[in-house]
Amino acid sequence: MSRGKVLVAMSGGVDSSVATALLVEEGFEVIGATMKLFCYGDTVADRPCCSLDSINDAKAVAERLGVPHYLLDFEDRFRQFVIEDFVSEYAAGRTPIPCVRCNTFTKFRDLLAHADALGCDHIATGHYTIVRDGAMYRGRDRLKDQTYFMWGIDPGVVQRMLTPVGELTKEETRAMARQLGLVTAEKPESVEICFVPDGDYAAVLEQHLPPDAPALSPGPIRTTAGEVIGEHRGFARYTIGQRRGLPGGFPHPMYVVGIEPEERAVVVGTADELFGHRVELEELNWLAEPLQAGDTCEVQVRYRAGPVAARVIEGAGERLALDLAEPVRAITPGQSGALYDGERLLGGGVIN
Amino acid sequence: MNPTRDSSQRVYLDHAATTPVRPEVRAAMEPFLSDETFGNPSSAHWAGRPARAALAEARERIASAVAAEPHQIVFTSGGTEADNLAVLGGALAARSAGRPFRVAVSAIEHKAVLDAARVVERLGGEMILLPVSTTGRVDPGAVDAALEQGVALLSVMWVNNEMGAVQDVAALAELAAAANIPFHTDAVQALGKIPCTMADAPITLLTLSGHKIGAPKGIGALVVRDKQALEPLLHGGGQQEGVRPGTENVAGAVGLGVAVELASAERAETERHTRELRDDLERRIIESVPDAHVNGVEGERAPHVSSVAIPGTDSNALLMQLDLAGIACSAGSACATGTTAPSHVLTAMGLSDALASASVRFSFAHRSTARDVDRVLEVLPDAVQQVRTLVASLGDET
Repeated sequence: MSRGKVLVAMSGGVDSSVATALLVEEGFEVIGATMKLFCYGDTVADRPCCSLDSINDAKAVAERLGVPHYLLDFEDRFRQFVIEDFVSEYAAGRTPIPCVRCNTFTKFRDLLAHADALGCDHIATGHYTIVRDGAMYRGRDRLKDQTYFMWGIDPGVVQRMLTPVGELTKEETRAMARQLGLVTAEKPESVEICFVPDGDYAAVLEQHLPPDAPALSPGPIRTTAGEVIGEHRGFARYTIGQRRGLPGGFPHPMYVVGIEPEERAVVVGTADELFGHRVELEELNWLAEPLQAGDTCEVQVRYRAGPVAARVIEGAGERLALDLAEPVRAITPGQSGALYDGERLLGGGVIN
Repeated sequence: MNPTRDSSQRVYLDHAATTPVRPEVRAAMEPFLSDETFGNPSSAHWAGRPARAALAEARERIASAVAAEPHQIVFTSGGTEADNLAVLGGALAARSAGRPFRVAVSAIEHKAVLDAARVVERLGGEMILLPVSTTGRVDPGAVDAALEQGVALLSVMWVNNEMGAVQDVAALAELAAAANIPFHTDAVQALGKIPCTMADAPITLLTLSGHKIGAPKGIGALVVRDKQALEPLLHGGGQQEGVRPGTENVAGAVGLGVAVELASAERAETERHTRELRDDLERRIIESVPDAHVNGVEGERAPHVSSVAIPGTDSNALLMQLDLAGIACSAGSACATGTTAPSHVLTAMGLSDALASASVRFSFAHRSTARDVDRVLEVLPDAVQQVRTLVASLGDET
């Protein structure tokens, strides 16, 4: 007896391979799909993610598990919703997270549309998150937890999501893949932004922006006191908290603490000046009851940062302002503020 | 149960992609896949003799089916190699002879011809792409102009693989002959479907493929009227007069011989049978999806291929729906990475990218049945509905 029909997104990595195997084992009627999001063309030989090899790996796993597999071409939409936004955000002096944009606007939404067309009850992915009764919780393997990237997903999508590896540790996932003899068992992690070869995001910007774009043109490096201490090669090459590429000769290490696109300025300061205790979020999305002024929660401002206790000081409508219980390093416009109640992801927004 | 795994639910209408090996073909090949007749046809000893005889017999069967001479049959690894040998080999021979290093090919050729012609360009030569009409017929004016300019070779496929357009091969071959220019035609989709021989026209080179007519994959032939017109692409032991060296695929050649013979003998019946099924399919699709359009329907088409444009849909999404219901058919073309560029054939005929990307190809063979058509009609209308909803919902946000 089938537990329902599910469209599973198979990236060709080990996590979604095992997710697929678990769904088959649990008695779902499974259809596999690999979303083609972008194409390096001839510029990069092979990547751990999204390359033709990955598509072939996904096909091989599907074949092995007796699951039909298809390719979904999301290239146009990925370009429109993710890459173009990535470029314009950097051009505006912010540091975007394309994975959040992708999850919010492309991956899950489009996958669900395809699932509907195929009469599927659910969609599934290999994400390390736990979905229970329409609510999303951190994955059991805290090092792999991916809820930080998920705050923007439509709650209607979460209702129909399955994330079977969320209850596993990465090691357990690999062990299961080995046990099942899946070709993806030993595949390395994909840690970079999938469409940015070798982590060189500036090269992507150079490709998409005109050569004289302000974001890539020289401008002043200033201290927080207003003293100009040098010139940079374009503020888009900098992000809050960065040390690399700054002039030396100061008694303390200096960090980028701000970017002022109107003046093309990169503002530097000491480590102390990097800390803030207030976070403002925009483009809010809620996977739970929206928080109101006076409510408390935890907020996480970077993928690898820990959550910090916070109190909502302004919570009406489009914006949310939070007062942090302890100062947090490098609160960066364009990054995400994901809001939690313990393990549960409540929603989030883009840091202003 | 998933219909893709339930064979009683399966429908195969993708014969233009490939066909199963026919039992007669397999039976003829079997001795050459055992220790019975395993010899190298080039060997002078007892083991080589039957292999050599089998090759000769295969050549005779093919030659008689396409009205050629046995020595004109050059076995290749398939249609792609035969096309490459014809186009690239033809262009290189012309260059060596001091004739124009330039090929003229129709815009709707198979990639094996188009990409071989692009290699000519890359090697410093030229490619003339001949435009086609809305029914897929190559423009005679463009052919005249190309011949006047001087080319190494004119290559126009007999029957288009994506939508079935039939060219006036006799007229094209006459034009080329009058200009003293070799004429190549890819007849992979023509043999066994329409009358198709070297007798009625001065065709110089003709491509055949085994696996489209019930022989295995990996065997094909180029019928070569004039070996001087070709420079070999492979070099080696001098087999096949050096035009295509390498120890011959004897079993494959035997299979091809039988398959070509059967296809030709059954041609009239196949033509009638597939046309009946195809016309029925097209009529009923239009009945149930009134804005669907059969690509190239106003022109002369081969009987076994139907390309249907269904506005507001997407071929890939439709193919998923059909496959999950057990129906195998195909889109125009898909590159190896699965990125689906709109078909170059359909866009060359003037279809918009959107319509070309919303076209599905059904292709028939002698083994197709009325039940296959019924099954498509059971599934397609609902699939179209689902995909239209999907495409509309994805389009809404853009």
